[in-house]
Amino acid sequence: MKSRIRCAWPLAAWMIVWVAGGVSAAATPPSYALDATKSSLEFAFVQAGAQNKGRFPKFTVNFTFADEALADSKLDVTIDVAALDTQDQERDDTLRDTDLFDVKKYPQARFTATQMTKTAGGYEATGTLLLRGVTKPQRVQFALRSASEQGRHVLYMTGKSLVKRLDFGVGQGDWKSTEWVGNDVTVTFNLRLVAP
Amino acid sequence: MLRNTSVRWGGVAQFFHWTIVVLIITQFILALTAEDLHGVKKLAVLATHKSFGITILMLATLRVLWRLNNPTPPLPATLKPYERFLAHFTHTALYVLIFITPLTGWIMSSARGFPVSWFNLFQLPDLVAKNRPLYDFMVDTHETLAWTLAAIATLHLLAALKHHFVMKDTVLRRMLPFTKTP
Repeated sequence: MKSRIRCAWPLAAWMIVWVAGGVSAAATPPSYALDATKSSLEFAFVQAGAQNKGRFPKFTVNFTFADEALADSKLDVTIDVAALDTQDQERDDTLRDTDLFDVKKYPQARFTATQMTKTAGGYEATGTLLLRGVTKPQRVQFALRSASEQGRHVLYMTGKSLVKRLDFGVGQGDWKSTEWVGNDVTVTFNLRLVAP
Repeated sequence: MLRNTSVRWGGVAQFFHWTIVVLIITQFILALTAEDLHGVKKLAVLATHKSFGITILMLATLRVLWRLNNPTPPLPATLKPYERFLAHFTHTALYVLIFITPLTGWIMSSARGFPVSWFNLFQLPDLVAKNRPLYDFMVDTHETLAWTLAAIATLHLLAALKHHFVMKDTVLRRMLPFTKTP
């Protein structure tokens, strides 16, 4: 009895080392930190037949990524919708109001990727977008460029996503009409992400 | 007859004149209506106002080109020098105003950062970069020009009526469609 336990100890120790080694070999993808000062998140829309744009100056990004471990990679973006800025106070107030983003009730929007795949031009993240209290499937296309800056690994991420505003109820009452404000909103982003 | 003659405005000149008259009246109605609106309705009315304004600018350009390539029916020889001066002044002012009123509206939109579209069909380039103080100045300028246009057009209308009913000449009739000029 005693000898069997004594024999089991080295085996258990070896198994712990083996399992831990296996996990690190599968490589948990590194988490990148957003450099907010060198990142932007913008949206473009058609207003009265003309292209207009605005930006979301406040947002956070959780990006865990490794090219060889796409299944374990994660992208999670939380946007402070209330901070939106279209360079026009009157329009910003209208956008924040109940008929559009209703920021008092829904101050944040969130995109959570559940799957990432390689595409011809980069990657596609498939997931859900929570906007104005509505959660719907959403796809985001992005490309990455690696750089080494002062010895740190940095990723530059550029991408876009087409959001149909009415799918999320951004446009109540008169704003449901797409004659003067288009349904298609193109969200684009340029992010600087720094490796740990 | 489409072209002007020495006694009468042709069909093309009449078309430009009366279309612009109708559009200018429409512009006042739209602009004054928009003041009491908000939301999509205001957006819609102002977008239509801008499209009509650009239309006036396009018609004004064609109108001047047409005028330069046609004879101009002369003013009656019986006019006194001050009447002749007043007629030239009014006409010149109206021609200038149908250009600069739309142009200041266009500049105003650009300065606000709202690009102008022509009936949702195509987007016009911005004339100036976004500039809030310039926008505020252009709002006042555009409005002042519009009321100046209204005042001079009223003078123009009264003069036309005077020609017809008091002087009993052909000045009004030669700009009216479906009439004959002796």
